Amino acid sequence: MVIREGDSEKINQVLTAFLGESGASEALLIDRSGQLLAMTGANRALDTVSISALAAGAFSSTGALAQLLGETEFTVLFHQGAKESMHVSTVDDQAILLAIFGERTTVGMVRLFAKEAAISVGKILAEARERPKDMKEMSTPLTAEESRTGFGEKKA
Amino acid sequence: MAIINYAQKVINFKVVYYGPGVAGKTANLQHIHRSLPGDSKGNMISLAAGDDRTLFFDFLPVSALTVRGFTAKFQLYTVPGQVYYNMTRKLVLRGCDGLIFVADSQWERLRENVESFRNLEENLREYNYNIDEIPYVIQYNKRDLANVAPLEYMEFLLNRRARRVPSFEAVAVNGDGVFDTLNTVSRMVLVGEFGQEKGVDLETA
Repeated sequence: MVIREGDSEKINQVLTAFLGESGASEALLIDRSGQLLAMTGANRALDTVSISALAAGAFSSTGALAQLLGETEFTVLFHQGAKESMHVSTVDDQAILLAIFGERTTVGMVRLFAKEAAISVGKILAEARERPKDMKEMSTPLTAEESRTGFGEKKA
Repeated sequence: MAIINYAQKVINFKVVYYGPGVAGKTANLQHIHRSLPGDSKGNMISLAAGDDRTLFFDFLPVSALTVRGFTAKFQLYTVPGQVYYNMTRKLVLRGCDGLIFVADSQWERLRENVESFRNLEENLREYNYNIDEIPYVIQYNKRDLANVAPLEYMEFLLNRRARRVPSFEAVAVNGDGVFDTLNTVSRMVLVGEFGQEKGVDLETA
């Protein structure tokens, strides 16, 4: 999937509006494979890469639980903490929306506005997925030099 | 599924380490985590049971070189190897761009390797992925032990599809072969996504 600058802007607008309405502090749009697609919110140092991988894992795990009960999926996952809580909900069959919120709002508010945001974001993602893959600078094959990517071990 | 983000100038790939229980998948990730400099790795997460066996997955995000202004990032996952964890194992495969099959070289584990490989093919089919289309490599681990099967025999067991894939001998706990395996699969994933100019042999590149 290719997310262009325009897609990112639109997604950020939706997520910013969602934060304003719901009172949540951060919103993360996450691919179900565990990759972070977009994030908006308070400017604090969160390990969003790990949060995305774990949230996608937890959500897929609850999906599997749902199937054991004959449900298609559980569309919402909610973790309540003493000060902060987390609400994860379905966007579409490839993405989920995670909201982190504190004491200044309620899970009901977050749930209400997450539903609306998911619909808007889902449309943007669907457009991005359907768009023909115009890769611009990545449209020509890699040269031998470029494909020689690698990880270097640090020297002891 | 590769995600190319123009706003962040990042290309994200997911690579999964697959194989039977206690074959050394987690040991691979641990060595990578120990060996990479801080700016090219994130935190490693291990969802393990009390006996050190992976319960759900291990996760380690790493970044490689920059390609045409984009940073190539690889999210490395392991699956739980034990037969009875198939449900969670299958979940981890979702959206993977490349695979490393970690085989246990000991004679008494050969059957489990073959069963795990079959299980991989089945689980991929459930996502409508085809093992012949996904970039993957095989790592024969624990080559330092006394009771290991000859390499040729392991190749015969695990690497005899129409497309022979690159394979590596390894001692993951010491780090031997770990980066050869990772670098090869990450090149294959990149080339699989964007193609490569003709006349270049990937495996010797």
